[in-house]
Amino acid sequence: MGARRRLVLAALALAAAVPTAAQAHLVATGMGPIYDGITHFGLSPEDYLPVVALAFFAGLRGPATTRLLLAVLPLAWLAGGIAAMAGLSPPAAGLSGATAVMFLLIGGGLAANLDPPRIGSAAAAAALGALRGVADLAGVDASLPHLGSLAGMAASVFVVFAVAASLTLPLTRAWMVVAVRVSGSWLAASGLLLAGWVWRYGARVTGS
Amino acid sequence: MRRRLLALLLALACGLLGARAALAHEVRPAYLEIDQTGPSTYTATWKQPVMGDVAIHLIPHLSNGWLEQPPADQYATGGFLIRQWTVRAPGPSPLQGRTVSIEGLQNTITDVFVRIRLKGGEGVDTIVRPEASQFRIDLKAGAPTAVSAFLLLGIEHILTGPDHLLFVLGLLLIVRDRWMLVKTVSAFTVAHSLTLAAATLGHIQLSTPLLNALIALSILFVAPEALRAARGGTSLTIRYPWIVAFAFGLLHGMGFANGLSTLGLDKGALVGALALFNVGVEIGQLAFLAVVLALIRAFRLMALDWPRPVTALPAYAIGALGAMWTFQYSAVLLGAT
Repeated sequence: MGARRRLVLAALALAAAVPTAAQAHLVATGMGPIYDGITHFGLSPEDYLPVVALAFFAGLRGPATTRLLLAVLPLAWLAGGIAAMAGLSPPAAGLSGATAVMFLLIGGGLAANLDPPRIGSAAAAAALGALRGVADLAGVDASLPHLGSLAGMAASVFVVFAVAASLTLPLTRAWMVVAVRVSGSWLAASGLLLAGWVWRYGARVTGS
Repeated sequence: MRRRLLALLLALACGLLGARAALAHEVRPAYLEIDQTGPSTYTATWKQPVMGDVAIHLIPHLSNGWLEQPPADQYATGGFLIRQWTVRAPGPSPLQGRTVSIEGLQNTITDVFVRIRLKGGEGVDTIVRPEASQFRIDLKAGAPTAVSAFLLLGIEHILTGPDHLLFVLGLLLIVRDRWMLVKTVSAFTVAHSLTLAAATLGHIQLSTPLLNALIALSILFVAPEALRAARGGTSLTIRYPWIVAFAFGLLHGMGFANGLSTLGLDKGALVGALALFNVGVEIGQLAFLAVVLALIRAFRLMALDWPRPVTALPAYAIGALGAMWTFQYSAVLLGAT
């Protein structure tokens, strides 16, 4: 299978995984809302892929950036989720497009090994958290179980970000850093294809 | 002093939030068993948890209508309502392809364990959950379903049991090196496996209120020890945490046994179920430990300098919850509620 075909298939799979804005379906595990939220995050590549990439990026920037982003990202996710439960429901295509832009931004930043000011990294983390928080909780009513699910998601974001960043924090050898940057280029490429798909087909790509 | 007070208040707030979640998850599974007792006779037993005189609205249905008939027997015992049917059904396989559905299950967080056994040895063991309250009987796919069902039950039991997880977290805060961690976790595993087996097979028994109170006490016990360890102090528990892990592990094992014994399986079926359930408990416990250890490593690499109230927060939260549960279950034990 050619590299281009693999990339297209990856983008299609990713596009299919992006949920609609008004019809978010939280996973039901039967183990309570917190575990529902954890599982939802674990089963949503559009959630965990940029979080892992951002964590890799933060790890390469050093402990100070990692600490800042570890605080900002889960809080922004919580804020986005609460805003969605309060009624904020952007159009599905808008959310998908914004997600694609975040893939491009974070993946591109990691691939290029950019070293932006710390405040810029924090802004990207806040944007990602708020965006995915809204997307995950859009269309659901404000209730204690949904708040529990959101808490489970935010806890997952915190743990996955911390653990993923700890993989790149101690990296010193150049070839290891290059290997991590390659993962960023994959994410950026997927984001580019996803953006093209959303531009070409609009909300249909998200199944709405 | 102000910092300590702040940590205590935060811990109490967390404790109250955690307690609500913990109480909400204290549900026992219901149980449906269908056995072939003769060439064309079957018995069906439905066992559902009741709270005092109130039973949650759960009604089992079988698509061939067996359970729509009035039950041959109906009685309440040990916190469960039990209904039994005896059915005569000639034919080679009256259950194959039928659908079991549990009315009302989608409105609960209770699981229903379904066990079907035929004379020829075929059978099904599965768990019906609120998000999928019906399933089609496939008697040929019985064995793999049973393995996953009991494994999942074990994993679910420990991951939704905050009391066990808090105790393990408390131990983790006490141990100081990897070798001691291995010894402590192994001691806890051996101890709870022993009593899980003994209690499930009916060799030992402790009243549920007493057991709950003692488990709560074990959580309350490890919290101050964790604080003492964090401040560089020492004690028997800090020097030999594996002894405490073993001693209290014996109690926690009896707590795990509740997850299986309330199903009411016969002893023959229990041995296999017990082994798988225990493996599930270990998987869940190791997953929890792995996440906590990975987080501790990540925090170290990030050079996170937590304020003192925050570092003390886990121990205070464990202690607050342990104290609250101890009072709560002691009150139940003494008949105050």
